[in-house]
Amino acid sequence: MHRARPWQVILLAGFAIAMTVGSALAADDEIRVGAVLPLTGKESKIGGAYKLATEYAVKEINDAGGIDVHGKKLKINLTLLDDTSDAAKSAQLTEQLIVQQKVHAVIGGYGSQLVQAESVVPERYGVPYISGGAGASAIYGRSKWVFGTLSPVENLAQTQMDFLTDLVNAGKLKAPLKISLVRENTEHGRDFAKGVEEFVKTHPKMYSIVLNESFELYAPDFKPLLGRVQQAKGDIFMCDAHLEDYIAMQRTYTQMGLYHQMVTYGARGADEAGRKALGAATDYIFASGWWSDLLPYPQVKAFNTKWKAANGTMPQWYHACAYETVRALAAAIHKAGSLNPEAIRSAIATIELKDSILPGGVLKFSKTGEAVLPFVVTQNKPDGKLDLVWPKADKTGPPVAPIPH
Amino acid sequence: MRSTLMQQFVSVALNSLLAAGLYATMAYGLAVIYGVMRIINLAHAGVMMLGAYVTYALFTRFAIDPFLGLVIVAPLFFLFGVLLYKLFGRRMAAPGNAPSIESLLLLFGVWLVLQNTAYVIWTGDTQSILTSYTLKSMEIAGVRVGLPSVFVFLASVASLVFLNVLLKRTYLGKAIRAVTQNRDAALLSGVNADRISAIAFGIGTAFAGIAGAMLSSLMAFTPDFGRSFLLKSFCIIVLGGMESVTGVAAGALVLAILENGLAAYTSVPTSLQDAVSFALLFVALVVLPRGLPGLLAVFERRRAAQ
Amino acid sequence: MKFVRYAFCLASALFVLSAPFFLERGTLNDLWNLALAVTLASAWNILGGFAGQVSLGYSAFLGIGAYTTALLSLRGVDPFLTLPLAAVLAALFSVAIGLPAFRLRGPYFTIATIGVGEAVRVCAASVSFTGGSSGLRMPAGSFDFNHNYFSMMILAILTIALAAYVKKSAFGRALAAIRQDIDAAEALGINSTRFKLAAHALSAAVVAVAGSLYAINFQYIAPGSVFDFQLSLNIVLMPIIGGVGTLVGPVLGALIVSTLQIKLLSMPMLRDSFLFIYGGLLIFLMLFEPKGVMGIRDRVIAFFRRIARPRTGSADAA
Repeated sequence: MHRARPWQVILLAGFAIAMTVGSALAADDEIRVGAVLPLTGKESKIGGAYKLATEYAVKEINDAGGIDVHGKKLKINLTLLDDTSDAAKSAQLTEQLIVQQKVHAVIGGYGSQLVQAESVVPERYGVPYISGGAGASAIYGRSKWVFGTLSPVENLAQTQMDFLTDLVNAGKLKAPLKISLVRENTEHGRDFAKGVEEFVKTHPKMYSIVLNESFELYAPDFKPLLGRVQQAKGDIFMCDAHLEDYIAMQRTYTQMGLYHQMVTYGARGADEAGRKALGAATDYIFASGWWSDLLPYPQVKAFNTKWKAANGTMPQWYHACAYETVRALAAAIHKAGSLNPEAIRSAIATIELKDSILPGGVLKFSKTGEAVLPFVVTQNKPDGKLDLVWPKADKTGPPVAPIPH
Repeated sequence: MRSTLMQQFVSVALNSLLAAGLYATMAYGLAVIYGVMRIINLAHAGVMMLGAYVTYALFTRFAIDPFLGLVIVAPLFFLFGVLLYKLFGRRMAAPGNAPSIESLLLLFGVWLVLQNTAYVIWTGDTQSILTSYTLKSMEIAGVRVGLPSVFVFLASVASLVFLNVLLKRTYLGKAIRAVTQNRDAALLSGVNADRISAIAFGIGTAFAGIAGAMLSSLMAFTPDFGRSFLLKSFCIIVLGGMESVTGVAAGALVLAILENGLAAYTSVPTSLQDAVSFALLFVALVVLPRGLPGLLAVFERRRAAQ
Repeated sequence: MKFVRYAFCLASALFVLSAPFFLERGTLNDLWNLALAVTLASAWNILGGFAGQVSLGYSAFLGIGAYTTALLSLRGVDPFLTLPLAAVLAALFSVAIGLPAFRLRGPYFTIATIGVGEAVRVCAASVSFTGGSSGLRMPAGSFDFNHNYFSMMILAILTIALAAYVKKSAFGRALAAIRQDIDAAEALGINSTRFKLAAHALSAAVVAVAGSLYAINFQYIAPGSVFDFQLSLNIVLMPIIGGVGTLVGPVLGALIVSTLQIKLLSMPMLRDSFLFIYGGLLIFLMLFEPKGVMGIRDRVIAFFRRIARPRTGSADAA
C-alpha cells in the first residue's frame, strides 16, 4: 500500500512555499489599500463598475502626487481582488489583505451579503474598513471599524413614498392608493419592502399594500408573478430588482399591457443598459438612487466632464459612490496625518467631505458608521430624456403623474 | 364570474404552453447527450450563455435578427459540439451504463473556461437585444402574449419537430435512438459509437445554443447567465425520462403548468416556486424512476394484459 | 515501512496542532481553510468514494450545521455545545433524503441530490426564522480564533482517522462491494440501502459539524453562501482531483483546490484569468489522469521502478 515517499515530502514542501507566496514585505513609504469586489459571478456587473471607479479615483490621487500625510506625499498602492461573488471568499480575501498584505485600510465590496461577510473581519485586526456598495442597515453599528457611503435601502423606499405623497398633496394622484409591492428575495429587496411597509403603516388613510411578493434572482419567466400583479389591481407598482430582472420583468409587463398610475423598480430605471434593452418601455418609470449626474452642483458637473473624458460614458450612481468612497478614505488619511489605523479610523468617523458629489453635497458618517444622505428621484421621459424630480430644490423638470395611458 | 375563471384558465394554459416550448428546447440538449453518452453535461449552461452572446454579436455587428440568427447559431454550435467531443470525447464516453464522474468535472471545467472567455470578450456588463417587436404583443383567445414568446415557441416547436423527423427517418437518427435505448445491443450490432456520440454531442450543443439564442431575445444576460436554467433543465429531463423528444416536451409542459398554475390558483409565494419545482423533481424521481414515459409504459402494459 | 507512514501522519498532526505557537495569523487562517476543505472532502469521500454514490447536494448538510449553530447561539447557547445537535439533525435529514433517493442509481441519484440541495437553499432563503436571504450573524463576542483553529484541526484529524477506520472495517468492505457491483453485493446478502444510509448519515454528520465551525469562524452565514450549489460542486471536486475512493486522495485534493483558489484569487495579475486557470486545470487533469493526483503518483512510481529494475518490465505497474 502507500508509504511516505519522497513525493509526499516534495508536495508538502511545495505547498509550504505556496503558502508563503503573497506575504509582501511591508514598507511605510506608501499607503497600502486593499479592496475586495465581485468581478465575476452574480454581482459582476456592478462589481466591475466599482472596480473601474475605484481604480480611477486612486489614479487621480496618485497622479496629483499622492496624499499629504504629515507633510510627506505618499502614493496609494491599491490591491484589488475578485471574490467571485462568494461570501466566504470575500471574508477570506479581506482577512488575507489585512494579515498578509498588511494594508492600512480596506475598501469594501459590493452587495449586501458579501459586505456582511467581510464586515466582521476588520474588528478582529483593528483595520479601518469603508464600503461604497452596501446599504443594508444590519451591517452597520456593530463595529467601530466599519463605515459605508451608501445610505440605507430602507430610506430609499421612504424617499419614494415621500415623493408619491408629495404628488398626492399636489393633486396629481388621488389617495387612497393601492400598492402592489414586488421585490427580489435578497437583503436589498427585504429592506426595500420594509421601508415601504413602515411608511404605509404610518399613513393608513393614504396607502394600502394589496400585493406583497418576492421572487428568486434571475427568474426565467415573470408571467406567473405578473399575473398576480394583474389580479391585485393596484394603483402603484413598486418593485425592487437587479438590472437583469428589471429588464425581463418590464418587458413582460409591457407585453401584458399592464398599467399602473406610477411604476418604479427601486434604484433601477435610469440605467443606460436598461434604456438600451427596453427603449420606450422605460418612459415615465421613476427611480430613486444614491446619485444622479443631473445634480446641479458645480463639483458634479466637473466630475461628469472628467469621467466622460476618461471613460467615454456618463457616470452612473455606482461610479460616483465608489469614487467618493476612495475620496473619503483619502481625506481621512490626510486628516489623520499618519498611517496609524486608529488615527485613520477616528478621522473617518469625524470627517466632513464638504465638496462631495453625493446628494446634499456633504459626506459624513453617522454614529453607526453609515452615511445618511438624501436620495434623489429621477423620472424617465420620452426620447431618452431623464429628469431629476426630487429633491424639489434641485429638480430639472416637473414630475409626470399619473403615467399617461 | 364564469368568464373571468375561463379567461384565467385560458391564460394559464396558453402561458404554460409558451413557456414549455422554451423549456423543452433547453432540456432536450441535455437529454440527447445523456441518452447517448450517459453523461451529465454541466457545460450546458455555459453553452446557453455563449449562444446568447453569439446572437448578441450577430445582432449588434451585422444587424441579424435573433430568430434569423438561429440559422447561423444552430450549425455553428453543432460544429462547436463536435469539436468539443473531438477534443475531450475519449474521456466523456463512459464505459457501460455507469455515468462517468470525470466527465462531469471535465465539462464543469469547460463551463468555467467558457465563462472566462465571455468575461474577456464582453465584460461582466449586462447585455440585451432590443428589436422592433421585443415589446409588442398579440392577442390569442383573449389573452395578451408577448410576440417574442410566440416566436420562441414557434422556433422551439420547429426545431424539435425537425429533430424528431431526423431521429425517426434517417439511419443516423435511428442509430442515435438505438444507442439511447440499449447501448450494448446497438454497439454489438455494429453502430459506430464514436461517430454517433460525436453527432449526439453536436446536436445537444446546438440545442443549448438555440435555447441561449432564444433566451437572449427574452431577457438580459451576463457571463454568469444560465445557471438557473441548467437546474430547471435537470428537472425536466428527469420528469421526461431522458429518452425521447416527446417525453422531454411532456416534462417541460408539466413544469410550466405547475409554475403558472401555482401562481394563478394558489397563494404559494412566488419565491418558493423554484423550491416547488425541485421538490417535484425529487418526488418524480422517487415515484417514477423512469419519468413520465415510464408511467405511460406501465399503463400500456396493463392495457395489453387485459 | 508502515512505521514511516504512521510517523509521517503523527508528525503532520503535531505540526498543525503546534502551529499557533510559531506561525503567523495569516498562515493559520490558510491552515484553517485547508482543514475545512480536508474535512469536507474526506467526509464526502465516505459515501461518494467508498460507496460510489456521487451526491451533489452536500451543501445542504453544511448549511444545516451552520444554521443550527447560528440560530441556537443567537438564543444564548454556547456555540460549541451546538455541534452534537447539528450532527444529529444533519444525519436525520440525510436519512430522510436517503430513504427515497437511494432507490435511484447512477446519474438519477446525482440529479436528485442536486434537486434537494437547491430546494433547501430556496426554502432557507424564503422562510423567516432563518433570517431569509439576509442570513444570520453570530452574536458579538463569540469569536476566539485559537478555539476555532484547534477545533477545526481536531475535526479534520478525526475525519481522516474515521475515514481510515471505515475503509478497513467490515462496513467499508461492504461499501466497496456496493460500489463495485451493487447487484452482486445484494446477492451476497448485503442490504445495500442500509449501508448506504449509514455512510450517508456518517458523512452528513461530519459535514454538519464542519458547517457549525464554519459559522463560528466566519461569523456570518447566508443561504447564498452555505447552501450554494457551487459549494456542493467544490466538495465533490476535491476528492476527485486528489483521487476518489482513496484515503490520501481527498486530503491532497483539498490541499490543492483550496490553496490554488485562494492563491490565484489573491494575485491581482492572475485575477482576470482565474476561471481559465481553474477550469483549464480541471479539463487537463480529467483528460489525462482521471484518477486524480493519486493516479499521477502511481504513474510516477511505476516509472521510477521501471528505471530502477528495468528487467521486471511492466509487471510492477502500481
